[in-house]
Amino acid sequence: MSPVPLIQVRELVKDFDGQRVLAGVNLDIMEGGIKVVMGPSGCGKSTLLRCLNRLVEPTSGTIHLRGQLVTGAGVDVRALRQGIGFVFQQFALYRHLTVLDNVSLALRKLRGMRRLEAEQKAMYELARLDMAAHRDKYPGQISGGQKQRVALARALAMDPAVVVMDEPTSALDPLLTREVAQLIQRLHGEKVTLLCVTHDVLLARSITEQVVFLDRGVVRAEGSIEHLSSAHPDALIRDFFGRESGA
Amino acid sequence: MNFLDILALLARGAGYTVLVTLACSATGLIVGLAIATLRRLRLPVVLPLLDVYTYVFRGIPVLVLLFIVYFGLPGIGLKVPPLLSMVLSLGLIAGAYLAEVFRGALESVDAAEILAAQASGLGRLQVLALIELPQMLRFAVPGMVNEFTTVLKYSPFAYTVGLPEITKQATTLTATTQRGLEIYLAVGLMYFAVFRILLIAVRWIERRYRVPGMVPA
Ligand SMILES: Nc1ncnc2c1ncn2[C@@H]1O[C@H](COP(=O)(O)OP(=O)(O)O)[C@@H](O)[C@H]1O
Ligand SMILES: [Mg+2]
Repeated sequence: MSPVPLIQVRELVKDFDGQRVLAGVNLDIMEGGIKVVMGPSGCGKSTLLRCLNRLVEPTSGTIHLRGQLVTGAGVDVRALRQGIGFVFQQFALYRHLTVLDNVSLALRKLRGMRRLEAEQKAMYELARLDMAAHRDKYPGQISGGQKQRVALARALAMDPAVVVMDEPTSALDPLLTREVAQLIQRLHGEKVTLLCVTHDVLLARSITEQVVFLDRGVVRAEGSIEHLSSAHPDALIRDFFGRESGA
Repeated sequence: MNFLDILALLARGAGYTVLVTLACSATGLIVGLAIATLRRLRLPVVLPLLDVYTYVFRGIPVLVLLFIVYFGLPGIGLKVPPLLSMVLSLGLIAGAYLAEVFRGALESVDAAEILAAQASGLGRLQVLALIELPQMLRFAVPGMVNEFTTVLKYSPFAYTVGLPEITKQATTLTATTQRGLEIYLAVGLMYFAVFRILLIAVRWIERRYRVPGMVPA
């Protein structure tokens, strides 16, 4: 018997004012697994991620998290969101809060922790990502790569079922790509379940060989980058993965 | 009456000026914040009412509204004391202007941060209170200083409803002492001093809450 996936996306459809952005996406993410979804800009990667925590309401289809249906009425959306750690493309740190407060805010306001307890937990996550020394700085005072680590710490602090990353390298210097990949791999090594979408082939290649290719709203292909770039029958897919970067 | 006595009387008037300015500014702040917040929540029935409020109160002259409140309302049996009349005219008008200042400042809050806060599971009111308002208030400082200054400059209208503020004192003193030039120069200096103190207070608060590296989105 095969284990039940942590996240199960079935026939997910999303229309934006008559435009079909997701046209029946199927996707499984296993507990402790790492999934990289690739595809050209505008293919619906961000929309797919946002359906997972209902920042975007799917038009049809289902999503299950740990066997529980999260699409449809009657779901506690705020509880669902607390269980999905989201790292945005531009990191979206709260600019008026220090690094420490960025990470501890949700712990205090949603988990009901006292400040001391929340800060201890936040410091643990910051230390894990080598950002402890920057605790009192504001987002405007740290680099892009550091912002990303804080955003990751903020997501991890809530002990989410899955950490979701939207284009983790698009706002960073390309020289940081390998570093980001290493970071993601390290978290994977620590049993964090990860879902990462990117159009950056170099990043994907540095994280994992197995990827999912999303195009025009559906999963077109799934497999190793090696295979997709050389042996896939669709020339467009071979071409996409043949480039060093999908930019 | 020597000039020191005159200054003492003017200073007492300046106290009323400060009182009127603070009362009307505080009212404006509360009303402006309430309107901007309610508007941000996009409540369907309330929204048009807020628009009507800002539309009307930004269009009506302060003095006309003051006279409606102070001289008009007693006609229907509502006697409003002078300071309250100022609050209900100048204060409410300042509220309408500040609502616009806050609306603009709220638009400078990064939409991605609001989304991130929602994605973390925070509710709409929490996002407003923890992310949007704290950032917005910092962005709104120049507009707020502007509006408080305007309130200060309109405060002499309090004299028309019998509050012994500084301009009123000056008029009376000029009539009895014939030393109009010195008196009005002193009045000008006192307004300037009040203005500077207001500015210093705002700058102090601004520095206290300044966030390094934060600029409007
Ligand atoms: N809120 C929205 N309203 C209307 N159209 C949207 C919205 N969000 C995304 N889209 C459209 O959906 C398509 C896919 O967008 P997105 O999911 O951001 O793609 P990707 O992340 O792969 O670049 C784009 O054509 C985009 O314009
Ligand atoms: Mg995107």
